Amino acid sequence: MSGSGLSDADVERQIKQMMAFIEQEANEKKEEIDNKAEEEFNIEKSRLVQQERVKILEFYGKKEKQTELQKKIQHSNMKNDGRLRVLKARDQHLRDVLTETTQRLREIVKDQGKYAQLMEGLVTQGLFQLLEPEAVLRCRQADVHLVERVMGAAADRYKRETGRPVKLQVDKQNFLPPDSVGGVDVIGRAGKIRVCNNLESRLEQISAQMVPELRYILFGGNPNRKFMD
Amino acid sequence: MNTQTGGIQQLLQAEKKAREKIEEARKGKQRRLKQAKQEAAAEIEAFKLEREREFKAHEARILGSRTDSEKLVQEETRQRLSELSGSVRQNKEQAIRRLLTLLFDVQPRLHENFSRGKM
Repeated sequence: MSGSGLSDADVERQIKQMMAFIEQEANEKKEEIDNKAEEEFNIEKSRLVQQERVKILEFYGKKEKQTELQKKIQHSNMKNDGRLRVLKARDQHLRDVLTETTQRLREIVKDQGKYAQLMEGLVTQGLFQLLEPEAVLRCRQADVHLVERVMGAAADRYKRETGRPVKLQVDKQNFLPPDSVGGVDVIGRAGKIRVCNNLESRLEQISAQMVPELRYILFGGNPNRKFMD
Repeated sequence: MNTQTGGIQQLLQAEKKAREKIEEARKGKQRRLKQAKQEAAAEIEAFKLEREREFKAHEARILGSRTDSEKLVQEETRQRLSELSGSVRQNKEQAIRRLLTLLFDVQPRLHENFSRGKM
């Protein structure tokens, strides 16, 4: 070979050095890439997991709220049903009381003394309301004689307090229905005005006005009520 | 001359090996990222199943107690109805008497504007 310059051994050494260098650089690069890969692996994995986790939690959070809401609605409906049943029972009790009162009434009107007194009052009241010079009295067929007996006193009282006379007549063509409890309707102006003083009607009017008091008597007061005036 | 070309060959081969090594590392990195997706999916699925299980347990707990609360409400209602009946039984007589008293108490009254002079 040439005399000057590097010997073969030197060249070989240099080449070996360069090869080692190349290999070392490659290893360093590989390590860099591997580390980067691990790093990105972890970041990507946890990013994906976290992203979906949030969605899943939100989804089930909502579903659980819905379940709780459903339960509340169910419970509320059950309580409402309960309250309705109580209200219906109260209503029924009231009606039962009225029915029993009517039956009691039927018995009481058999007492002619008491009934006659009542009848006179009913006729008088009818006349006071009517303020007509003539009136027809409609009662049960069985009560015709009773009414004829008391209507005179009623007419007298009317005249005393109003200063006016009145002509009374018992209707012998039309009567209160046969199963009526009693009482008398006072009718004026040829049927155009009618004071319903038959006992069904009277009881109906009274009970309608008395419902609050009846409720108080039967069921007790309302503990939640604040104002009584 | 031979030693020179031999040396160059060696260097070229070393470079080739180096390139291949780096290329391999890069491919490995791609595989690793794909793995990230797969492992994430598996973890997510597992999490979802667990959460679903929790939800079902929650549901069973809340809605399952329905029959219990139903019984409670019905018992409460039954008691109120029974108290109601008792109260009515006790006070019915008083209520009926009140109605009858009012019914028999007839108060004929003239209108307050009524005057005895002609209408």
